[in-house]
Amino acid sequence: MLSKRNLLAVMLLLAGLMVAPALSQDDLMGDFTLSHYFGGFGGEFIEQIVDDFIAANPGLMHAESPVDHEQFKTSILVQLAGGNPPDTFSYWAGARIQFIVDDGFLMPIDDIWEANDMDSQFPQAVIDTAATYDMHKYALPLTLHWVGVFYNTALFEQVGAMTPTTWDELVDVADKFKMAGIPAFALGSRDRWPAQFWFDMILLRTAGNDYRQALMSGEASYTDPEVVRAFGLWKELVDAGYFNADANAYGYIDSANMVANGEAAMTLMGTWIGGHFASVEMTPAEDFDYFSFPTIDADTPRASLGPIDTFVVAADANNADAAKAFLVYLTNPDVQWAFAEGAGNLAPSLMVDTSNYNDVVARIAGEIADSAVYAFNYDLATPPPVAEVGLNSFSEFMANPGDYEAMLERVQADAQAEFMAMMDG
Amino acid sequence: MLRRHKWIVPASFLLLPLLVYFTFVILPTLNSLYYSFTNWVGYGSDYKFIGLANFEKIFSDRLFSNAIRNTAIWLALAMTVPTLLGLALALGLQGKRRINTVYKSLFYLPICLSPVIIGIIWVWLYSPKLGIVNIFLRALGLNELATAWLANPNTALIAVFVAWAWQQTGLNMVIFLAGLTSVPAPLVEAAKVDGANTWQTLRKVIIPMLRPSTVVVLALTAINALKSFEIIWVMTRGGPFNKSDTLAVFMYSESFRKFKMGYGSSAAVILFAMTLIIIFLYFKQIARAEELYD
Repeated sequence: MLSKRNLLAVMLLLAGLMVAPALSQDDLMGDFTLSHYFGGFGGEFIEQIVDDFIAANPGLMHAESPVDHEQFKTSILVQLAGGNPPDTFSYWAGARIQFIVDDGFLMPIDDIWEANDMDSQFPQAVIDTAATYDMHKYALPLTLHWVGVFYNTALFEQVGAMTPTTWDELVDVADKFKMAGIPAFALGSRDRWPAQFWFDMILLRTAGNDYRQALMSGEASYTDPEVVRAFGLWKELVDAGYFNADANAYGYIDSANMVANGEAAMTLMGTWIGGHFASVEMTPAEDFDYFSFPTIDADTPRASLGPIDTFVVAADANNADAAKAFLVYLTNPDVQWAFAEGAGNLAPSLMVDTSNYNDVVARIAGEIADSAVYAFNYDLATPPPVAEVGLNSFSEFMANPGDYEAMLERVQADAQAEFMAMMDG
Repeated sequence: MLRRHKWIVPASFLLLPLLVYFTFVILPTLNSLYYSFTNWVGYGSDYKFIGLANFEKIFSDRLFSNAIRNTAIWLALAMTVPTLLGLALALGLQGKRRINTVYKSLFYLPICLSPVIIGIIWVWLYSPKLGIVNIFLRALGLNELATAWLANPNTALIAVFVAWAWQQTGLNMVIFLAGLTSVPAPLVEAAKVDGANTWQTLRKVIIPMLRPSTVVVLALTAINALKSFEIIWVMTRGGPFNKSDTLAVFMYSESFRKFKMGYGSSAAVILFAMTLIIIFLYFKQIARAEELYD
């Protein structure tokens, strides 16, 4: 029997063959280099589509340089600065792309954007936030992740809970689980980033995206009433004992497993958790389901949150033509769909037939379409040095929620120092 | 003629290693010293020379003081715990009985593992639910002592230190064992004949004779302690919220997580200066020991 992975390889190959004639450009010659940070399924996928791309363009020679996810953040910057970057590489949309656009390390892709009418291929919110920097197009969105509350359906039935749509309902549901002796919220914040979604979502649902944007860029303060209120609401949940004990001791896979094994009811996480649930034989909409983070202030515009992975072209690319042709290749709906399906994420392209999505992902696509804004998670929305300060504060908060106002004073002082240092540089 | 140019032969042999040493040790060291006076971000050629600004800033940096405090705790523990344990093991396992050889190998074994592997092993041992440390404590009925060792801000640094000491002790044991072979047996016997008990023999004869080994152990331990980074990074990455940050971790975080290479370099320079002091003291002690024996 064909394994899921092999089946995918065959599908990709067929997709590649179908689109190959349209893609082959006789003038593409020479070496083509690419770096990416995807591991597991994503890594294999990228390697497969690169092979397809090279097969369609016999004039190209492929030289790949895959690196470890953590290492990538540093090594790509060193390569860019050294003037010998890969022609194209994966990068996180948001502050991280802005960071390297500011340094002049990226090549605008306005030409291929217009030539291929990409404005009609992607949702406006994604084009504005993920692709466009300083009025130019720089990044080609490949995959989109959405953060919501994923829950164990059997446990919800067991305690007779309905999916909440407001904060009060969320607290009621959490209370039901507390009565049943089950932690309502699984959180594994050992690697810090999983905790950020709580701050992100509460702030987006109260102060809204405009205020959050100001905070992320250093124009607002962590001691503002908006931030204090967000932490206060978060603290209510922690103080009530709705979270599992020792959140900082576990990784995000541990928290996903707590939900999968029925040791906790729900977890606030990105759509990639669907990939993990699938690997432990959970069926979407049957064994697990999701709900959008509840409304807190009804008049706050609806915002979606999550990272978007893109591919960009280096300003110093040796083979910019090949890099741009590769980016165009990535807009192919078959490619976008295959990646989304394999990784359990969403395809940013509007050309992808959403009827292929499983029930959970299809409804999430609807949530995104209904959102007024698409925001990036904390560590991609604020510059890296500030993100370090904030991420540490989220872990500290989970360990000592009581002192959060004093903590926010420190966070503000440190964040301000980092913003000042960046302006000096 | 030949005699006057006697230095040419050794110099030509030394030229290559010296060149390598200069290129890969001296030059990068001078380079980080240079960067510590700049606001370089770690990539690109766009930076300013800012004099001593990094050093002025670092001494009022809350996270730097935190790292200094943790490094001081780490150093104090490192100088005592694995040193005393290594000495105790060496005293207990000296001699040629076969079982001793087995034990010696067992205690030495951790040295053969990379600190990264040791870190991963201990992360498992400390796992809050499934880790053997907590399982053991619960089995003894000490439930209230079972904690999330690496996530608890009060235990993280010590928990990582225990893993580090587990490795360091084996090394110290071997150095002390080597030292013990140079303690003349007649001297120990003479002490016993003179009526000294075991404790007195140890304190008045063996330990003073072990002075050169002790100097080596303390110097190596101190240098290893100051540079210990991998095991902390693997186990906690300095967390939770900087509670297990040492100077080396601080230096790495500032340079590679916050992209402040100039600032990180100033931490590196301070760490280097501290190590240099220890090396200086070490050589002074060695010189003194040599004088004694001459």
